[in-house]
Formats: sequence, C-alpha cells, structure tokens
Amino acid sequence: MTIRYESQKVALPYIQLSLLLFVLQIAMGLWLAVNYAFTLPQWLVDAFSFATARAIHTNLLVAWLLLGFMGGAYFILPVECERELFSTKLAYLQLGLFALAAVTAVVGFLFGWTQGKPLLEIPVPLDLVIVVAALIFIANVLLTVIGAKRRSVIQWMLVGGVVFLALLYLLGIPFYRSLNADYYYWWWVIHLWVEGAWELITASIVAFVVLQVTGVERQVVEKWLYLETGLFLFTGIVGTGHHYYWIGSPDYWLWWGGIFSALEPIPIALMVVDTWLHVRNRRNTMVNRLTWIYIIGLAIYHFLGAGVWGFIHTLPPVNYYTHGSQITVSHGHMAFFGAYALLNLTVFYYALPQFKGIRRYQEKLGQWGFWTMAVSMFFLCLVFGVAGILQTYLERFLDIGYSTAQMTMMFWFKAALFFGAIFLAGAVMTVYHLFTLRPAPKATA
Amino acid sequence: MTKKTAKSIFWVGTLMSAGIFIWLTVDFHRQEPAYANTDRITDQVVAGKKVWHKYNCNDCHTILGFGGYYAPDMTKAYYRLGPNNIIAIVMEPEKVYKGSFRKMPRLGVTRREAEDLVEFLRWVADIENRGWPPQDEKYVRAARLREKEPHKLQKLDIVLGACGGCHSFENQGRDIAGDFGDIAKETRYNRDTLVRYILDPASVNPDSGMPPQNVSRETAELIADFVLGLR
Ligand SMILES: [Fe+2]
Repeated sequence: MTIRYESQKVALPYIQLSLLLFVLQIAMGLWLAVNYAFTLPQWLVDAFSFATARAIHTNLLVAWLLLGFMGGAYFILPVECERELFSTKLAYLQLGLFALAAVTAVVGFLFGWTQGKPLLEIPVPLDLVIVVAALIFIANVLLTVIGAKRRSVIQWMLVGGVVFLALLYLLGIPFYRSLNADYYYWWWVIHLWVEGAWELITASIVAFVVLQVTGVERQVVEKWLYLETGLFLFTGIVGTGHHYYWIGSPDYWLWWGGIFSALEPIPIALMVVDTWLHVRNRRNTMVNRLTWIYIIGLAIYHFLGAGVWGFIHTLPPVNYYTHGSQITVSHGHMAFFGAYALLNLTVFYYALPQFKGIRRYQEKLGQWGFWTMAVSMFFLCLVFGVAGILQTYLERFLDIGYSTAQMTMMFWFKAALFFGAIFLAGAVMTVYHLFTLRPAPKATA
Repeated sequence: MTKKTAKSIFWVGTLMSAGIFIWLTVDFHRQEPAYANTDRITDQVVAGKKVWHKYNCNDCHTILGFGGYYAPDMTKAYYRLGPNNIIAIVMEPEKVYKGSFRKMPRLGVTRREAEDLVEFLRWVADIENRGWPPQDEKYVRAARLREKEPHKLQKLDIVLGACGGCHSFENQGRDIAGDFGDIAKETRYNRDTLVRYILDPASVNPDSGMPPQNVSRETAELIADFVLGLR
C-alpha cells in the first residue's frame, strides 16, 4: 500500500518532528521525577528549576500532539476529499513557523522568558507566530475541504475541531488583572481543548482510520461520529464547570459542573463500543495486527484514563480532597496517554508504512514498544495515584504539613521514576520502530 | 437510529450546552465582585500578579489548586505564612530551606517585588472559594481570630496559626524550621530573649534564617510561654 496523493507527503516531516519531541518530553518527565525523588543541591535548582523543566515537559507534550494532529489531518484530507491538498508550500511554511516558535520557546524558558501561566508559558510574541501558523493551517485545510470531490461528515468535523482549537488558544494570550477570571478562561483553553476541540479531532481521525482499516460502511461510521461528538460537546462544554469548584464562584457550578462532567464518560464508552463493533464487523482482513492493537488500545485506554479516572476525580465531594494533589497527576498522565498519545501513534502506524509502500510491516519491536508503554504507564499512574491518596490522607485528613507528607511520599516518587524509565524505553522502541519500518518477509504473510 | 437523528442530536446537544455555558459565564462575571473582591484589586495587587507570572511560580506551586504540585499551594499562603515569612522565603530561599529536603531556586526577587507579591497573595487569600484547600483553613481561621477575637483562641491555635507555616508540633504544621518539641529541649533562651527573638530573630542571633514575625508583643509572649512550657 502506498500513498494515493502526492501532497500527503507533507505529513511525513510533521510526524517525524512529532516523534522526536515525544521522546524529549518523556526524558524531561524523568528529570521531573528525579526532582521529586531526591534532594537536589541548591546550585542545580538555581540553574535549572523544576518550574522550567515542567514548562518544557508540558509544552513539548502540547507541541508533539498538535504536530501529530496537523500531520494526521494533512495525511487523511486528500484521501477523504479525493483531491490534493490546497497547498503543500503553505504546509511546509506552517511547519517551519511552528517549529521555530517551539524551539525559541524552549530555549526562552531556560533563560526565564515566560508568560508564567502553566501550560501556556509561551510569551506573547511567540504566541503571535503560533497564531499565524494556525491561520495558515486553517486556511489550507478549509480550502482543501471546500474544493473536495466528495462531501463527508469527517471533513467538517475535523475542520470544526481545528477552528475551535485555534479560537480557544486566543483566550490564553491576554493578561488578566484578576486571578479568578484568569483561571476561568485558562480552562476555556485547557479543558475545552482536551474535553472539546481535541475530542472532535480525535473522533474524526479515529472514524477515518477505522473506516479505512475495517472497511465498514461509511454511513454507519459517520452516524456514530455525529452521536459521539454531539455527546462530547454536550457534556464537555458545561462540564468545564468541574474546574470552577474552588476558584471563587457561585454554588451552582458544583451542580452544573458535577452533573455534566459525570456524563462525560458516556461518549468515550460509545467510542469503545463502536470501535469494537466495527472491528468485529470488519470487511477487510487484518493485515497489520499492531495497527489494530493500537486502535483497540486507544479506545480502552481513552475510556480508563479520561473516562473512569476523570469521572471519580471530578465529583465535587471527592474533588474537595483530591484537587491539586498527585491524584491530578495520575489522572492527567493516563488521560493524555490514553486519549492523545495513543491517537497520534495509531495514526502514525497507519500512515508511515504507506510512505514506504509497505503493506505488511515487521511488527515485533513495535509490539514490545506498545506493551512496554501500556503496562509501565498503567503502573506509573497507579504509583502517582497511591502517592496522591497518601498526600490527601496525610495533609487533608491527618492535618500533617506539606513537607512531612511529601517526605513520606518519596518512596512512591522513586517508584514513579522507575516506571517512567521503563516507559521511556518503550517510547524509544516505538519511535525507533516507526522510523525504521521494514516489510515483513513474504513467507509469514 | 438514522444518521439524520444523530445529526440533530449533535446540533441540539452542542448548542444547548454552549447556551447554558455562556449564560453561566455572564452570571459568573456578574457575581465575580462578590466572590473575588475585585474592587480590592489595586495596582499593587496587579504588580504582584505580574511578579507571580514573571518568576513562573505557578509551575512549582499550585494556586487555587492549579499548577505544579512540587511545592505547597499558595491560595491561602498569606494566612499560613504571613507577609514577613513570604518575603524572607522568596528573597532568600537558600537560607530558609537550607536544611530542607526540597529546595526553592534563588530567583533574584527584589524587595519591592516581594512586597507586591505579598499584596497579590493577600488578595488571593480572601477569595471566597468554599474554604479550599482544606488543610489551610485552620490558618485562615486563626489569623482572622487573632485580629478580631484573640480571647476565643486556643493557645495551640495561636501558636500553630502563627508559626505552623514553618514549625511543626505533634505532626501539625510544616516542619522546615524544626519541631517545637525539639526546639523546647534545645533552646537556651529565657522568656525575654525568646520574645525578642520571635519579634526580630537577627537581633538575638545574626545567623538565624528566621524572618521577623508579624505578631503583637502579647502573642509573641504567649508563643514563648507555650514553647518554654514544653520543656
Ligand atoms: Fe476538564
């Protein structure tokens, strides 16, 4: 199987850069775990603080996920629209701008150039570069879709998700005089991204890949797509309220936020069901087992991390105790890995063999990579969860001070470092495998 | 279900949720002054917020529970630590946390910036946020009572409310500067010296890392009696 449209090739550098940033992100995560697990000397803390490392860790996360989404979109749009992309030059220009902004941002963080807002540390001048890159992307996608030979729900859902994503980013740029309002709108970016716009993009991309791989009927896939994205937005928009319990806001947020966010797992559960149904009713034979494993793994992990873990943690009476603790860390890691890291890797496993014209690839190393990542991430989140329960219990039930509680948790931070290192090994295997895909020997085909 | 039904579910669901959310947002802004005391956001509070951003404090500390979990939550820090302690910590973290298992970087914060930061944290601490974080409510209560009705306070409340940001006692408070049980055993100060020490540590021991405390002479005496009473 080879790529069908010449312009799909622009996706390749997006995917490659995305994978490199993924590995760097994990490496930086390990450094954060070292900060937690050991006492570092003052000079080292002065030179490279936890705050700087965390800014790099989280920004690399956002960068590699967005690069993956954009590369993924450029890869699937020609097929979905049955035409070449509107412009490959614009796509390369956009990638250049985006990479420039990302590199400058990371170097800037090292020298203390920051907007000082978690996850949105990138300073305003660089925000503007990103906005330009985003506008180019939207224009390119939109013009491709407008001239499509075929109309589909997947196209428009993807366009909707991308435009929504870009608009929300703007709310993180201005300076707010009130911290209360600052965080009110900070969540319009963060929550409405991961529980809104990004879910639209995920659902459309998954729908496309499932459609292509399983060969089930388009009408069925698109029906599910409408239903799921509808429920994602219905529960997710008002569900933003689960972040407003403790910021200084009217009491009704406990109800609106609590109830709507309790419904948020439903569309994710539906995604598990429809993926399962489509895989069971597939018309195509299973060519690459690993690609299928990723599709199913994505559905299940998405449900576990974002759905179940999110559900428990955002109930107001629970959240009162677990908010702002290592529990959030546990939930965050599993949700981002389950929903978005696996999404990107699924798309990469779908796309990359096509660049090399490989129908069936050797998958052994990739299998090792997947299972190493999946299992170590599960334990990593378990360890963070134990640390979080301990923290909550010590600080908020036994009334023991922060430092004493943290010292008691240090064993679990060391365990997190251990599982993080295994995860890094899994990620390196996966990335190496993706970079060096080889056709499987014919005999075993 | 047909695709058409699914499409209607998409539009109805999305628009309904967006409508509710926008309505709630309008109401949030209407009620914000009451919950966040927006009338008390002075220029100095804003300057302090800029200091908070400038040094990227929020990637180690949470505030309102958001941010990094590497260091304590700052929502009620004004009541937990008091102005002098905050200033001492941000200006000379290497001294305050010399013996600590976790360090804070030397950021080069100026005195002016530290004072602005205190004003910002004071405004934040008064946001009506349903008493979150739970573990800091005791400091808020103690600080408010200390100002208004000191007679209603238990001795332990006063001591932990004033000192618990750095000292511990029977597992309460933060142990970065020593436990009162140990301090009581080791101290060679008499009552007068201890009171002077609490009010201005450097005047008694120039090497002390402890900042001057924002407490009245009476409270300082009460704390001294408490500590010496543990011997
Ligand atoms: Fe959320």
